[in-house]
Amino acid sequence: MARAGGDYLMGDLMNSIRLHEGFVYDRHAYGMGPGRDPDLLVGGLEPPSALELEGMETLSAVELEVFQHKITSIVEEARDVYMALSISEGIITGDMNTSVFTAEGDPAVVATGIYFHTLLNYPQVKYILKYYRDNPTVGLSDGDVYFFNDPTCGGVHTFDMFVSAPIFHEGVLIGWAEVGGHQGECGSMSPGGFSPTATTRWEEGLHVGALRIGDNWELRQDILDFFLNSVRNPFVFASDLKARVATCKRIRDRVLREVERRGAAQVAGGLRKILAVSSDLARQRISQLNDGIYRSVMFNDGVGLESGLIRLPTTVIKEGDSLTVINQGVSPENNMGPQHCTWHLMRASMGVYLFTYFFRGLSPNIGLLEPIRTLVEGPSVANCGVEVAHGEGTTISAMNVQNLHVIGSKMLFDSPHKLSVSAPFSRNVMIYVYAGVNSYGYRAANFTGTQNLAGQGARFDMDGEHASGFYWASVTDAGEVEESDMRLPMITLARVIDKDVHGFGKYRGGTPSVEIASAPMAGCDLTTRGASDRLSHNPGIFGGYAGPPNPRFVIKNVDVFKQLSETRDEVELSQYTLAKRHPLSGNYVFSYSSQPTEHFNYGDLFVHGVGGGGGYGDVLEREPDDVMEDLKQNVISSDVARNVYRVVFDSETLTVDGPATEDDRDMARQERLKRGKPFAEFMEEWQKLRPSDDKLRYYGDWPEPNSPGYSKPFWGLFE
Amino acid sequence: MRVSVTEYLDIELPSRRWICNRCGADLGPADRSYKEGCLIANRNPQEVHPVIGTDEHFNFSFDPDWVRLVEFYCPGCGTMVETEYLPPGHPLTWDIQIDLDSFEIRHGKDAQNSLEIGQ
Repeated sequence: MARAGGDYLMGDLMNSIRLHEGFVYDRHAYGMGPGRDPDLLVGGLEPPSALELEGMETLSAVELEVFQHKITSIVEEARDVYMALSISEGIITGDMNTSVFTAEGDPAVVATGIYFHTLLNYPQVKYILKYYRDNPTVGLSDGDVYFFNDPTCGGVHTFDMFVSAPIFHEGVLIGWAEVGGHQGECGSMSPGGFSPTATTRWEEGLHVGALRIGDNWELRQDILDFFLNSVRNPFVFASDLKARVATCKRIRDRVLREVERRGAAQVAGGLRKILAVSSDLARQRISQLNDGIYRSVMFNDGVGLESGLIRLPTTVIKEGDSLTVINQGVSPENNMGPQHCTWHLMRASMGVYLFTYFFRGLSPNIGLLEPIRTLVEGPSVANCGVEVAHGEGTTISAMNVQNLHVIGSKMLFDSPHKLSVSAPFSRNVMIYVYAGVNSYGYRAANFTGTQNLAGQGARFDMDGEHASGFYWASVTDAGEVEESDMRLPMITLARVIDKDVHGFGKYRGGTPSVEIASAPMAGCDLTTRGASDRLSHNPGIFGGYAGPPNPRFVIKNVDVFKQLSETRDEVELSQYTLAKRHPLSGNYVFSYSSQPTEHFNYGDLFVHGVGGGGGYGDVLEREPDDVMEDLKQNVISSDVARNVYRVVFDSETLTVDGPATEDDRDMARQERLKRGKPFAEFMEEWQKLRPSDDKLRYYGDWPEPNSPGYSKPFWGLFE
Repeated sequence: MRVSVTEYLDIELPSRRWICNRCGADLGPADRSYKEGCLIANRNPQEVHPVIGTDEHFNFSFDPDWVRLVEFYCPGCGTMVETEYLPPGHPLTWDIQIDLDSFEIRHGKDAQNSLEIGQ
């Protein structure tokens, strides 16, 4: 009923929420097309087959645990195989996934890596089953290999490429193996995939819904040649594609060995039962939280080609054992860049927070999403059409994930699952995509493991970890710089846990490791994409401050190698020092992060950070000795220690003056009481403010898109 | 009894009031936002987040023309119970709207025990 718009939602709490008329919410803003059937994306779990029902009855709870552990070990082994075989930077550093699906195409067991990859790339398998299996021109047989990368058919963006293969036993389909990840280069307008100035789908390279590229585990040469002629890095592309196929075969062989031990029914039924049990466990977890309506809102400061405010609000209704996640009052489509998200990407991205924090301890699979209803207003930047560019849809879906993280912590605080209460992980994304000829002599285009060095948000009882992991895949490693220097046309000079780039609080957020890199002798092409240059996507929680913005920072005409060899002074290569003191002569360029491909010369410098996590709690409650420790570790400046944390200390010995600190903090609280205004007085002044029109070009109705004239003191009240 | 629902905020039962758990200040009825009971400040975010670098707009701090730091203080003790980063003039967020009937049922047994102990 949410589709029609204007209808009230079901349930007592939901009676206070009214959806806007004229929009879709519970499905895509686009319909069917070649290789594309949105119904397969919104339909939920397939009912169990007769074979699966037979097998489900044979597994006790304990036996299911053993079975699940076995299949998990298969996909985790496959993850290691895939990462070892690949020569693509994104895959090597963990932007990938391996998984086993049920026979009907539901993801049952997924490896660490990026969980949401397998919450997305299953509709293509369902499409094969629904439209190709019984089509005499296509069919489905043991040994078939399928490829797909189209974001509108169930994927993320065209640079994420997947291979899937059916698992047959004696002619009976019992499951699917799937392997894929961020391969990068896909023939888009910018080398390496991300094309921040693309405005339509037609500028983003290859689009493959589901294509059989091999039979009997052999790739078809004609199709391979077509692919290799469509991308800038044919050597890497071919190598990675073969790595995916080999890994799929490894999964298939391992699963069939389990079939020999257990029989086809128990393996097929076991996969289906994992989903049913996960769904039940998710409902149990949700039912332990307070019923209510929870909200958070996030803004972006660009659309791709230009700066401009974009709004993404999230409302969660928790009632009984289910959640409804609503994005309403979202900024409209703008056709000015690739920051457009699909309904299915909004839904699947939630797994990044839910699986890691909210459902901590539960096995990650699509069964956990069963109790969660997803309503995304479309058409909008969050639920867009087919024709727009989609490459940075993750910028929008990540804003929803950050909102969900804030909301989740507020739901979990008064619950048995308080351990997961925290500020969000850093998502102030900045990706540098290098392109050119690498040290091995072949063409390469991709980003580095620097993505995996983001700061974690502060937790309810401790600080966030520094350089903790990748936003989309917390269990990742940044890799060795000597190796990435060989694989990509760039040279890493330093990785630094940097200063004043995390969220302050009673517990502070984790700081990123910032990479300082340069172009090699032949130079290189560089494309940058990002968000949050003037604002942040890393909120704090319960009075904690946010992790700060993260604009693009490069230094041109610097010839760092020459200057370093000629200076007698030690030069600290950190973001803080380079930006603040300009120790090298050159052109220091701070800018909006979405920039088209640009050539850089030997010795130019790239300063590449990915942002720090938000803080938890009031800064005035942080232990003064912990503030001094931050100072000693060089993650905060003395100005922050004195003026934000209000610690009085000896500059030379870094010894805290306890009584003076207490006095200064008392004074800080008095300053707050003097500065703060009662609600009505504050609102009278606040509601007169408004960003300038040039900032609102792509925003929609101010302040509440699709609600002209909205004037309530709180947003999102439509009853 | 009081139930802690955030680091700094309790809901008192059966009165259904927001209470600061650092000082005991009453922040208003729990069927409305606790923010209505706070003191609120509109701050330039650069007062907290250091500007790093020389660019007016892109400097690893917030651009105050684009976003403001809104701080919510307990009027009793000055504890900062929450922050929001909003474009100037954007409505505030009613972030926690608990269904108080089910909340009271969930915590009701403890609330009753607490009353009896108090008596």
